Amino acid sequence: MNDALRFEWVRLRTLRSTYWLIGSALLLNAVIAVMIAWLEPDAPPRDLVVAAVTGGGANLPVPMAVVLLSVLGVLASGHDYRYGTIQPTLVAVPQRARLFTAKVLVVGAVALVVTATSIVLDVALTFPFWADAPRLTDATVFGYLLLGVLWAVLGVALGQLLRGVPGALVVLLVTPMVVEQLIFRLSYTPALDWLLPAVKFLPFTAGLQLVSAAGEASGGLADEVGLFTRWPSGAVFAVFVAAAAVTAATLFRRRDA
Amino acid sequence: MITAARLGKRYGAKVAVDDLTFEVRPGTVTGFLGPNGAGKSTTMRLMLDLDHGSGETLFDGRRFGTIRHPMREIGAVLEAKAFHPTRSARNHLRMLAAGSGVPAARVDEVLEFVGIAEVARRKPKGFSLGMAQRLGLAQALLGDPGTLILDEPANGLDPHGIHWLRDVLRALAAEGRTVFVSSHLLSEMSLMADELVVVGRGRMIYNGEVDGFVRSFTRSSVLVRTPQADALAAALRLLPGVTTSAEGDGALRVAGADAAAIGDVAFDAGVRLHELTTTTASLETAFMTATGDAEEYVARGVA
Repeated sequence: MNDALRFEWVRLRTLRSTYWLIGSALLLNAVIAVMIAWLEPDAPPRDLVVAAVTGGGANLPVPMAVVLLSVLGVLASGHDYRYGTIQPTLVAVPQRARLFTAKVLVVGAVALVVTATSIVLDVALTFPFWADAPRLTDATVFGYLLLGVLWAVLGVALGQLLRGVPGALVVLLVTPMVVEQLIFRLSYTPALDWLLPAVKFLPFTAGLQLVSAAGEASGGLADEVGLFTRWPSGAVFAVFVAAAAVTAATLFRRRDA
Repeated sequence: MITAARLGKRYGAKVAVDDLTFEVRPGTVTGFLGPNGAGKSTTMRLMLDLDHGSGETLFDGRRFGTIRHPMREIGAVLEAKAFHPTRSARNHLRMLAAGSGVPAARVDEVLEFVGIAEVARRKPKGFSLGMAQRLGLAQALLGDPGTLILDEPANGLDPHGIHWLRDVLRALAAEGRTVFVSSHLLSEMSLMADELVVVGRGRMIYNGEVDGFVRSFTRSSVLVRTPQADALAAALRLLPGVTTSAEGDGALRVAGADAAAIGDVAFDAGVRLHELTTTTASLETAFMTATGDAEEYVARGVA
C-alpha cells in the first residue's frame, strides 16, 4: 500500500493543475470571507458568520471551492484515461483496488488539509472587521471539512467510473445545479408533490446541509420540503459517495484497463 | 523466461486473440510480428493483466499480478505517448519509480542512457514520436528489469534510431535478459530479432528462428526466356512438383525446380535458352505470403 500511496503523492505533486486548483479554492473562499466581513462589519448574524468561514455556506447550489477540490479528484483518476497513463500506472502498481484506495486516501487527505487551511485563513481574514472571531468549534466547521473530503472522493470515483475527465465534470456540475434544483423546485408544484419525500435523498442537496447555519438548506425552505437535519443529511451524501466509490473500484477491477 | 499459454480474447463475436501459446527465452530478442490488427497489442495487454481474457502468462513462473514490484522485473511499454503532456519526463519517471521502490537517482541514469537527459525537465507535449519512444524505453528500463515487453518501439524512430535500438536490445539480451518486441514490419524484426512469433488474425502462424521463417515462406523461382516456351513448359511439367506460368514475351516463370535442373531439361528437349535467372523472394514477400490470408484490414485496389 505504501508504494501506491507514494506513487499517488508524487503524481499529485508533479502536476501544475494541483497547485492552480488548491490556490484558486483558497483564494475564492478568502474573497468570499473578506467581502462578507467588509459588508457586514457590526454584529453579523450567525448565517453570515457561517457563510464567511465555509465559502458561502449552504446559500449556493454548489460549494464553489469544494468543487475545485472535486476536480482535483476527477483528474486523479480521469487523467489516466485522458492521456493513456493507465498502462504505465498499472505496470508500476498492478493491484487495482490498492491503487484506487491510494487515490482516494491521498486526494481525500489533501482535500481535508486544504479545507482546514481555508477555514483558518477565512477566520483570520475576518479579524480586522469583526470584534468576535468566528468559533472554530461550530458544527458547520466540521460539516465543511467533511463536505470537502466527500466531494473530493466523489471526484476520484466519478473520474474512475466514467474513465475520463469531461463526463465526470458534467455529472459533478449538472447534477447539483440542474437536476437536483429542478426536482427540488418541481416538488412545490401541487401536481408533483409526490416528489417531496424524495427530495431529502437528493445527494448533493443533502450534502449541503452539512454547512447550513440552521442545519437546513435554502433559507428556511427546508421545513416545507422536509429535509433531514445536518448529520443525517450528511450521512445521505456520504452513503452516495461511498456507493459511487465502491462501484468505481469494482468496475475498475473487472473491466479491461 | 516468459511462458504464455492458451491466451485468448474475444470482443463480442470477434476473436482478437485465438489460443496463442509461446515461450520467450532469456538471452535472445524475440520479435512479435504480424500485420496491423493481428492482435499483437491485445496479446501484450493480456500478458500484463491489463485486459481480462483466457489463458495464462507466467514470468519466471509467476503471474504478473502477484509480483510485488513488477517494474523491477518486467519493463513494459505498450503506447508511445503514455504520459501527461505537462508533467516533465523526469517527473513522469520519478512518479513510476516512487510506485516501484526504485531509487530516484535511477531516473537520471535511464534518461541519460536513452539520450533525452537534455529535455528531461521540459514538458513532453512537444516531444516527437522518436523522443517519446526513447522516454518509453527509459520507462521500461527504470527498474533494471530482467524482462522487456515493448510494443512497436521502433515506430517513429529514424534509421539511426532504429540501429541504436537494435544495438540496445541486442546488448540487453546478451546480458541474459528476456526481450519481447512487437512490430508490423519484418524488415525491423529481421534487424533486431533472433526468434519470431508471427501472428495473423489472432492466430499463431509461425514460431521459431528468423531464418527458418524466411525459408518456410519464401520459395525461389526461376525466370526462363526462350523462343520455344511452349515446348519447354510441356517438358518441365513432366517433373514432379514443378509449376510454370507464362509471363509473355517468351518468358516462363518456373517454380519447384532449380536453374540447373531446368537447364538439363531444356538441353534434353532440344530447347534453346536465352535467359535463366533465379529469383529469391524478399523478407517482405515471405511476410506477405505468411500473413496474406490473415490480414485484418485490407484496402481495396484503386479502380
